[in-house]
Amino acid sequence: MLHLLSIDLKKLTNYRTFWIVCGLYFLTLGFTTASGMEFLKWLASKGADFGATININRIPLYHFPDVWQNLIYISGFFKLILAFMVVISITNEFTYRTIRQNIIDGMSRAEFLISKVLTNVMLSALSCAMVFLIALVTGMIYTPELELAYMFADVGFLGAYFLEVFTFLSYTLMLGLLIQRSGLTIVVLSLSAMIEAIIKANIDDTLPWLIQFFPMEAISNLVTMPFPKYVFQEVQDYVSIASVAIATGWLLFFNYISYLKLQKSDL
Amino acid sequence: METVLSVQNLTKNFGRLCAVNQLSFEVKAGQVFGMLGPNGSGKTTTLGMLMGVTNPSAGTFSWFGHAPSHLIRKKIGAVLEHPIFYPYLSGQKNLELNASIKGTDPANIARVLELVELTARKDDKYKTYSLGMKQRLAIASALVNDPQVLILDEPTNGLDPMGIAEIRHIIKRIAADGKTIILASHLLDEVQKVCTHFAVLRKGQLVHIGPVDEVGKGEEIVEVSAYHDDLGVLLQKFEGTKTVKKEGVNYSVHMNEGFHSQDLNRFLFSHNIVVSYLATQKKSLEKQFLEILSENKK
Ligand SMILES: Nc1ncnc2c1ncn2[C@@H]1O[C@H](COP(=O)(O)OP(=O)(O)OP(=O)(O)O)[C@@H](O)[C@H]1O
Ligand SMILES: [Mg+2]
Repeated sequence: MLHLLSIDLKKLTNYRTFWIVCGLYFLTLGFTTASGMEFLKWLASKGADFGATININRIPLYHFPDVWQNLIYISGFFKLILAFMVVISITNEFTYRTIRQNIIDGMSRAEFLISKVLTNVMLSALSCAMVFLIALVTGMIYTPELELAYMFADVGFLGAYFLEVFTFLSYTLMLGLLIQRSGLTIVVLSLSAMIEAIIKANIDDTLPWLIQFFPMEAISNLVTMPFPKYVFQEVQDYVSIASVAIATGWLLFFNYISYLKLQKSDL
Repeated sequence: METVLSVQNLTKNFGRLCAVNQLSFEVKAGQVFGMLGPNGSGKTTTLGMLMGVTNPSAGTFSWFGHAPSHLIRKKIGAVLEHPIFYPYLSGQKNLELNASIKGTDPANIARVLELVELTARKDDKYKTYSLGMKQRLAIASALVNDPQVLILDEPTNGLDPMGIAEIRHIIKRIAADGKTIILASHLLDEVQKVCTHFAVLRKGQLVHIGPVDEVGKGEEIVEVSAYHDDLGVLLQKFEGTKTVKKEGVNYSVHMNEGFHSQDLNRFLFSHNIVVSYLATQKKSLEKQFLEILSENKK
């Protein structure tokens, strides 16, 4: 396993684009999540438009345990940048035809896929670690009274976040394997949520229960938007078992399709 | 002798095109096996199936008596058609990757780089290499695991004459180690020089297979000339003559099987003709190849 991961990392770590995209990802992720106080001010001004006065100092955006769901929810938006890296990594193998040589040199097709999936796991885990650190540090800075019991109360969102990123990267890998060209893959990937939204809007009246099973919906349902609670609306402040089950189903499905596609095609 | 590769009824269809049609043959240990055939006759497709990148439509093959698997491929070194490497990696790094996939000792890399004379350029990016250097790196990567079997698909494509001679030298040296080599090439001269056996494909079908040293056996062609006006007429009367052609000042006699130049010489001498020039033409592989192809044209 580790051997396969090291093979894929060898391909990536000597690739300048990989560092640029990863650097971009972790910078924007870090910068955005850490600058939430600015976001609060924006929220306050919006609230003022509706005639509601919000005392931003009383919104515990960065207080334990709220900080977990808040930052993790925001971080979810940036997974698209990470996905671009996955697109480049897999479509390069087709444009350079190196996947062919990898197989000739003695990788099995399954091993090739595993090496890519392991990289997805690693990228997801790194993203988790990054969010964990930022949440921990900002939480410690902004929380008025640190209590260990509260500090890690909602850290479970991190598990859901991992599933969210990993499922999305699996979807990306599958698209890349099916399409094989980076430009088109990125277009399809970026449009996925939009296309799904159109379909969902059309079945909203007739089959509303079906919506939760859509792939992009399933991925975003893992960590739901927490912010409306600060204007006294009810939010889902836990990870639902159903959403985990559905996302896991998609995760397995995406990787299985990748597997079938690889087994069947001439390289 | 141990059978290294056994192929039975291997077939590949691309849509309606049958690229490889019911191919069956065997390669024994120690053979240098040449695969010949015109463009598009299915050589690369066949090798692609043997190396697991092209899924056969029908038929089977076995390496060393075992069903094909990726583990067996690790013991084979192969370059199909074009060199394939990561352009942004250096030659050295590319070979490290190859070695890592093959599960072989990276210490071999320096040796194979030396062998193909790329040591000085090993830290340059692959994309900056010339065509011949790419080709050499491909051969280095095929050799990095010290393979039992070497598969080369037009390995001298784009090499300079010195490079071609060097590759021939490398192939001969590897063959001398008792390794098995499968070589697809259009350079028939090269094939004749290095191969022990050869097969000819045409439109995906095997039309000939046999040892190289049998080329040139069988019917002889003798070139002859003499200061005698009736030589042409007399040659027609010789019982060993199949056909006679005048080529410049010489006559080219295509002999019947079992007759040799000395028989012709004796015949002419008995008719009081002393030849001024007599040469037995050894049939080249190229000639035989073209004959095989034209015989099988329908
Ligand atoms: N991926 C593919 N899709 C469709 N047809 C293909 C594909 N690969 C090869 N072919 C066809 O299969 C036939 C055999 O091709 P192949 O590359 O095996 O020939 P070759 O003997 O290696 O020729 P060359 O001497 O030019 O290298 C050709 O007609 C080719 O067009
Ligand atoms: Mg070819």
